[in-house]
Amino acid sequence: MDRPDAASTNGIVLECVRKEFPGGVVAVRDISLEVHPGELVVLVGPSGCGKTTTLRMVAGLEAVTAGEVRIAGRLVTSLPPRHRNVAMVFQNYALYAHMSVRANIGFGLKMAGMPKREIRARVDQAADILGITTLLDRKPRQLSGGQRQRVAMGRAIVREPAAFLMDEPLSNLDAKLRLEMRAEIITIHRRIGAPTLYVTHDQTEAMTMGDRVAILRDGALEQIGTPLELYEQPANVFVAGFIGSPAMNLLSATLDNSGDDWFAHVGDSRLVIPPKARAAVRPLAGHDVILGLRPEDFVSGEHLRASEHGIIYATVTRTESLGSELLVYLSMNDITASQPLVARLDRRITMQRDTPIPIGVDLERLYFFDPKNGTALS
Amino acid sequence: MTRPRAGQLVRPVAITAIVVWSLAPIVLGVLTSLSTQADVQAVPPHWLPDHATLDPYRWLLGGSGDIRAGGTVSETGAFAQAMWNSASMTLIATLAILCVSISAGYAFARLRFPGRDTLFWVIVATAVVPIFTIVIALFRLLAGAGLIDRTLGLVLVFVSTTTPLALWLVHNHVKELPPEPEEAALIDGCTRWQAFWHVVLPQMRSGIAALSALVVLSVWGEFLIPLLLTSTSASKPVAVLIPEYVGKYTTHYPLLAAAGMLALLPPAIVALVLNRHIRGMLSGSS
Amino acid sequence: MGSDIGQDNVRPGGASQGRTSRVDLAAREATRLGMLMVTPAVIVTAALVIYPLIAGFLTSLESGDPAIGEQPRFVGLGNYGEVLSSSTVREAIVHTLIYVVLAVTLELTFGLIIAVALHRAFAGRGIVLAILVLPWALPSVVSGVLWRRVFDPDSGLLNGVLVQLHLVSHPQVWLASRGWVLVFITLVHVWGVLPLVSLILIAGLQSIPEDVYSASAVDGATPWRQFRHITLPLLRPSIAVALTVGTVWAIKIFDEIYVLNGTALNSRSILMELYTTTFVNADFAHGTALAFLLAGVTVLLAAGYALSFGRSRT
Repeated sequence: MDRPDAASTNGIVLECVRKEFPGGVVAVRDISLEVHPGELVVLVGPSGCGKTTTLRMVAGLEAVTAGEVRIAGRLVTSLPPRHRNVAMVFQNYALYAHMSVRANIGFGLKMAGMPKREIRARVDQAADILGITTLLDRKPRQLSGGQRQRVAMGRAIVREPAAFLMDEPLSNLDAKLRLEMRAEIITIHRRIGAPTLYVTHDQTEAMTMGDRVAILRDGALEQIGTPLELYEQPANVFVAGFIGSPAMNLLSATLDNSGDDWFAHVGDSRLVIPPKARAAVRPLAGHDVILGLRPEDFVSGEHLRASEHGIIYATVTRTESLGSELLVYLSMNDITASQPLVARLDRRITMQRDTPIPIGVDLERLYFFDPKNGTALS
Repeated sequence: MTRPRAGQLVRPVAITAIVVWSLAPIVLGVLTSLSTQADVQAVPPHWLPDHATLDPYRWLLGGSGDIRAGGTVSETGAFAQAMWNSASMTLIATLAILCVSISAGYAFARLRFPGRDTLFWVIVATAVVPIFTIVIALFRLLAGAGLIDRTLGLVLVFVSTTTPLALWLVHNHVKELPPEPEEAALIDGCTRWQAFWHVVLPQMRSGIAALSALVVLSVWGEFLIPLLLTSTSASKPVAVLIPEYVGKYTTHYPLLAAAGMLALLPPAIVALVLNRHIRGMLSGSS
Repeated sequence: MGSDIGQDNVRPGGASQGRTSRVDLAAREATRLGMLMVTPAVIVTAALVIYPLIAGFLTSLESGDPAIGEQPRFVGLGNYGEVLSSSTVREAIVHTLIYVVLAVTLELTFGLIIAVALHRAFAGRGIVLAILVLPWALPSVVSGVLWRRVFDPDSGLLNGVLVQLHLVSHPQVWLASRGWVLVFITLVHVWGVLPLVSLILIAGLQSIPEDVYSASAVDGATPWRQFRHITLPLLRPSIAVALTVGTVWAIKIFDEIYVLNGTALNSRSILMELYTTTFVNADFAHGTALAFLLAGVTVLLAAGYALSFGRSRT
């Protein structure tokens, strides 16, 4: 990329990496990204977006059609996996079923020709970090899912590789264990410090674990940035809809202006566009735009101030209590949205159902997208 | 639910019938082998021997000179030699078939090289070639190489006729194995060969056990091929020797049965020990 | 996908930006090892199957007995015509058809009964399955000689029982009769093949999910209707495999005939006819013609099964 500083050459670098399968299917379209030492970058996207293929190209398990891959400053594009000095954790752990846990973790060291005594010491150390010292003599089939996960981690860290690759490592665990392992992987990552590329389809996992998150769709990189950047400044409709839970509401709106006052018409409601956003929407005056509203940017009840909030009128069709907050599903007159509006409101609010009520919108947090190509207007 | 259904009564009967049907000829064989010729020739027949004797086994395995009983003639030590021939033929053929088919089956399933798919289908297609269409040309080929009446010649024929099917089974087996352990091994520093040797081969253990059982049973019991390709006791397996004990006018059944029971022993042990793996492989085949 | 590790090295000229000459070391390693590992199988198949097959086919198109110094002469399909017009061959074809139809019918009927009886768990199932496999382990030649004592005309157990029960007045020479010999030989053959057919069907039954039965039991289906409308249709692929195995084994029936009745005309199968022609009479030309006819019929039958059951196969 465009930062040739000394540190960056020790990470994982992808330059215009492309993957075409026989038959012409393009799985990955010229992706460039860089994982710095000590950084954990998450590749996230819907299934079939090319994130796993990208990871496998870095590992050397998939040939690169075009472009280059560098690891720790070395060009590895055409090298077999064993010459790349990477470690990988697989979704189904891929443990060697016929070997004990100790042999599983030490296998890579053994293949590297390390003396037995040193292997023993390093396996013991890795097992200690992961809290699996008591399991070292067991076979993988005698382990629970969480324990297998730890063995897979142990196999990766014991080799002290130049890069870590993780392919949906948590998706086979139950919800509680997944949260636990998330925290643990982050701790281990901090401790080891090797650049890590982490693949998941779960945007929550991506947002909580990644130092930076790369969003892929149809083999192309849609946006890369810190979780906050992606949340605050989604580059397009896809990223906006992908990040956040529940997802951003996307409505079609019409722009007009009277002098310097700009408005977005949504159904029979009118929202005032704040001054700082005016420059961005100016080119589309009089046209339709896609208006994005995050569920958490709605206000209702006592917090609603007519002076600062825009008001839309909508009917409550359904509510879901999450305990700490309330998800309110809304339908608006004259709006044919593919999905109902979702608002995330204070849990103490009681909503009247089936009659239109005013709902406040934080006008400072409106998103506008070009309906032609979905890119953000800013 | 409370009333016993007809099916629940039929099943024990059916299971008993299956056991009786499967065991009857073998039990009969054991009883016959312990009989004297007089017992066997009695009218009405004696189902149980009057005086149980191990003589037939002693004749077959011992060195007590020629057996001349009821028209059956056997050279001294010929049976033991035939058992040895069968064992070495089966062992060598099975090892050779396993090596050739495991190596090729894995390569066809996991390694990419030019012409791979064409080559695979050509070899597998030869599995439908019946042995009798090639046996004459094989006979001439082996005769030219001086391999008639040699264990090596038999082994070569078994390898060629069994490899296509064995290779196909191995290929399917490897395709069903999860590829990730092999990939993990490659990342852990293995070459392709090391990953195959240290990780894929151990993954295939159950399949290899089943395949070995199938090959051992079919090679040990094969009759036609060694009938055509052997002529002396130097290479004649037990399956070819036993029919020679059938006399033209009368037959020494105790001797015949004892020979049969001894010939059953090795494949029966293999079948019983590897029974579970055989069933596992069959469930993968359909 | 996923099993060809790192080897889909498609490099369209435009996309590779002038790096077409790059050698992918991982792909090269796989290519070399792959070719090395298939070499023994390729050599064995080419030298010991494909070459003899072609040589054999050429022999079947030639006439002339090299044993008496005649030069081989190309006669096209002449040998095939002569073989088909021989009356012993025709009889052998009829015998073989009877063997196949009888054997396959018995094997499938009893195979299904055994499979249904054994596929669900009961105490001692492992032992029963082990016993079921035993006949398969018994070399067919050995089972043949054991059954000889049953059918022996002088002191045979079958005659003994029948005489004692006064079902026959005097001992019969069963293996010299026209009809019975085929039935008895088939029985001996079925005894050896039934284990394999049953195991294939048991494996098929076990692949049918249990909840299909629970659902239909809730709907009030009787066991017979369950079998007829659920088990049989779902078992189609396994039945096809069992049918093919049964047919292929029955069509080349030889060992049992050889041991029980030798080369006698009343029980000759096509393969036995082939054996006598080639190895007793040393008539290679007609022998190979017969071999290719038999092979053709086998392949046609197998293809027929594959096609008629093909729609339900994966």
